[in-house]
Amino acid sequence: MIELAKIFRIDLSEFDQWQINWAQGDQWSILISVALIVPPALWFFWTSLRRVGSTSKKLFLFFLRIFSFAFLFMILMRPELEFRKSNALKSHIAVLLDNSKSLSVKTFPEKTSRIDLVKKTLKFNEEYFQKLRNDFQVDTYFVSDEIKKTNYSIKNYQAHRSYTDFSRVLDALDKEYENKSLQGVFLFSDGADLTQEPGKISPSILKRLSRISGPVHTFQAGSNMQFKDLALEAVSNPDFGFIQQPVSLSTTVYSSALGNRNVTLVLKEGDRILGSKIIKIRENKKRYKVNFEFTPRKIGKRIYTLSLPRFAEEFILTNNQKEFEIDVARDRIRILQLNGRPSWDSRYLREVLANNPRIDLLSFFILRSLGDDVEAPVSELSLIPFPSNLLFDDYLSSFDLVIFQNFKYDPFIDKKYLINIRNYVKNGGSFLMIGGELSFQGGSYSRTPIEEILPVTFQETAEIFADKEFSPKINQDFSNHPVLRLEKDLNLNQNVWNSLPPLQGVNLGLTASKNAHVLAKFEDEIAGSIPILVAGGFGKGQTVLVATDSVWNWNFRNEGIGARYYQRFWNNIIDWMIAEPQTQRLQLESDKDQYREEEPVLIKFKLYKKNYQPAANTLGKLIISSRFDEIIKKDLKTDDQGEQVFSFLPKQAGFFTASIEIDNLKEKVMFSVLKDDAEFQKPLVNEFVLKKMAEISGGQYQVLDGSNDLSSFRFNKPEIKVNSYNRSFSLWDNWWAYGSVVGFLFLDWWLRRKVGLS
Amino acid sequence: MRKQLFIIIISIFLLGLVNIAGADYSGLTIPRIMYKGGYDSPRPEALRSLLAQIARRTSIEVNREPTELKLSDPNLFKHPFIYLGGDKAFEPFEEGDLKILRKYLHSGGFLFIDDNSAVADSAFDRSVRRMIARIFPQTPLRKIPRDHSVFRSFYLLNTVSGRAIIKSYMEGISLRGRTVLMYSLNDQAGAWSRNKLGDWNYDVIAGGYRQRQLSIRLGINIILYALTLDYKKDMVHLPIILERLRRYQSP
Repeated sequence: MIELAKIFRIDLSEFDQWQINWAQGDQWSILISVALIVPPALWFFWTSLRRVGSTSKKLFLFFLRIFSFAFLFMILMRPELEFRKSNALKSHIAVLLDNSKSLSVKTFPEKTSRIDLVKKTLKFNEEYFQKLRNDFQVDTYFVSDEIKKTNYSIKNYQAHRSYTDFSRVLDALDKEYENKSLQGVFLFSDGADLTQEPGKISPSILKRLSRISGPVHTFQAGSNMQFKDLALEAVSNPDFGFIQQPVSLSTTVYSSALGNRNVTLVLKEGDRILGSKIIKIRENKKRYKVNFEFTPRKIGKRIYTLSLPRFAEEFILTNNQKEFEIDVARDRIRILQLNGRPSWDSRYLREVLANNPRIDLLSFFILRSLGDDVEAPVSELSLIPFPSNLLFDDYLSSFDLVIFQNFKYDPFIDKKYLINIRNYVKNGGSFLMIGGELSFQGGSYSRTPIEEILPVTFQETAEIFADKEFSPKINQDFSNHPVLRLEKDLNLNQNVWNSLPPLQGVNLGLTASKNAHVLAKFEDEIAGSIPILVAGGFGKGQTVLVATDSVWNWNFRNEGIGARYYQRFWNNIIDWMIAEPQTQRLQLESDKDQYREEEPVLIKFKLYKKNYQPAANTLGKLIISSRFDEIIKKDLKTDDQGEQVFSFLPKQAGFFTASIEIDNLKEKVMFSVLKDDAEFQKPLVNEFVLKKMAEISGGQYQVLDGSNDLSSFRFNKPEIKVNSYNRSFSLWDNWWAYGSVVGFLFLDWWLRRKVGLS
Repeated sequence: MRKQLFIIIISIFLLGLVNIAGADYSGLTIPRIMYKGGYDSPRPEALRSLLAQIARRTSIEVNREPTELKLSDPNLFKHPFIYLGGDKAFEPFEEGDLKILRKYLHSGGFLFIDDNSAVADSAFDRSVRRMIARIFPQTPLRKIPRDHSVFRSFYLLNTVSGRAIIKSYMEGISLRGRTVLMYSLNDQAGAWSRNKLGDWNYDVIAGGYRQRQLSIRLGINIILYALTLDYKKDMVHLPIILERLRRYQSP
């Protein structure tokens, strides 16, 4: 060692070990190559020395060749001389401090929070941990559903994480100390792991504990003694519901140390009480199952609140109320279709509606009029009385769309019900009138509430229905209108409209109202421009008229290909009339329905002009408000595509509404920011889990009182040496190694020449 | 006085215009299919007679003018209901015509075939079955069950009548839940047919007024079925219809 140090001129005091390292990786390929090549080469060389008479010369030459091969082999094996210095390594001790929210719960009777108990214990044992650092590497971690290394400072120790998950903690710990010597773990926690059932420990924790080499000593912060709480422990509610369909939800109420009393659980939507249940709380029973059923009346995201009374003696009050959201949707589109008489137009439309799984269809055909003689008693007829009272008084509001198809109301509907239809549309219903002789003026609708709601006025003309063949021309101003979009591509859409078979029969004497959208027209040299397809609005509702009874030709006469467009045409009309979001001029959305705290919210809106072209550079007002007040009010201008995006960071949890007011249109979207307070739903100390963890790992379990003495805890100290630094010298990549090989080969060649060999 | 008379005349004229305009287009037309061989119109006044009954008994507007079409006629697709009758064997349809008919029925059209021969296993019947087998090789004719909508689309029926009761049932072919073809061997057209004076053209065999009336009712029901499909199976109708059927069928 000393000689070597001299040769390589190194300071021996810096190193305590040396060794030679050989070529890494391809050693075997070199050895195999040498073993295959060298012996035959030596044999050939030996046989070539036959002419050399002197045995000593033969042997000298032979060994000279062996030396040459030996040096060559040395070079191939790339030997290195390594000088090393190694140090003894400390084993690790992990201190795990639970920083989940349940640590903020106070204990009885001192009313010290669980986290304060841990802090007191750490302070009390400061000296012990200081001493422990002399022999061990003491690593401190904040643990919840993750582990986060920290310096040994209790200043930053706060109970703020959402929940505890010991499986994940142990998993992370195992990875952290892979290939390291972990001699023990201190775990300070209340054991409130929501994934663990009472009185049980999950196999995942057991599996992970077995991978930890040292004992896990568990220290329980707090106890369940006289823990007073009334909590909504669990609420099981669907994310989606359907309008007019009952929604069920079940809740679990937890009560602890509150004695015998009756409490009321109330379900509300806003300020409206949807239901309430009285729960008889008894001292000997902890959990109570309560079920609710209610029927949503409005479409959209609805926020509901479940609340229990709050008692002054409770340790946690935040778990007495819970808000949840249900997205109420339309399960099926309810359509009432009245047909004045059986016709091909009504038959094909009925087929489209009846075969559409989204639609719940109720249709009536007037099969006989008062003057018809059926020549049979009623008992031999399948005809039923027309239930006009039920339809137009009791159940009218339950329909999303009412269709009058070539239908004359008299004598089947009392005129007073036409007022009900007007009010129904005014309040958000939809009304579609399809042409024929019995529609518009032909159905005696002039100067009735029906004329009022339709986007046309009726003119008294000599001819109210003309038997003319025509091809409707779509209004280019509205070429982007959702009703007219049989194909997405505008040019293709225009081609489709041009290729549709002609129609026959048109209602005359209709003049579009001021705000009506005339989507398609019949242009005639004599009659002029006659509106065929007109869309409009009345109050909160939408109305459409189709002034012909021959649209069925697009299905039947187009010989197959038209059926698709025929269906799409009617689906477009229905979607627009029931205000499906994709057909709205103003579309507002958030990128998510639910956000976590400190997650940015992205609000996007798009505005179309009345003709459904993008409305660029239009100024609107965006208001974001919580349930109690406005948070943000901002003027925003649409870009060239009629769009704009706004991002903000909510400062608090809760339910929010983003509303936009632009171009006399209003739209709103709701979203929620969730507060991670799941642990407050089950804030009890889980003594069982902490005990078991200690027991299985060979550790000890203690309940903290703030003055627990940890000095009796001792850990093994195995000696572990690791390289701290080293220095290597190549034994082959230098001039004397190469020179020796060349020298031996030259000497070999020169001697062979001398003895007369070639 | 003159002024009032003028207004009345103008009003009558205008009302007339409305009716004429309405009748021309909106009326239900039932074209008769022409074919080669046999005789495609043994009951020439039957469809007009049936349409007259439909106009009289139901709210459907009809066009009584007789219309005849070949399957190759481009106007075929203006009429979703066609009638094919006969009493003799006819030449097999050309492949092109069969293709049109297949497309017609798949696209929403309806064909009513009526054997006017009033005999079982007639030459017309054999021709019809050959033709149907060529149109729908995978879908054979099946008996139309008694709970089919055709037996309740207007009248409640529990029998298949006709001029002669050859079979007590009709046969048909359904595609995706819709019956597109119905075939009767009972010479329905013979029972429907009456002349312009109102007299019946043909006596019903082994029956009387009731048998003829049931045949007319069936004819009306067939047309109502084509126009309303399974409308009468909607839930709103079921309780009343089932109650009436129960009473109607009970002795």
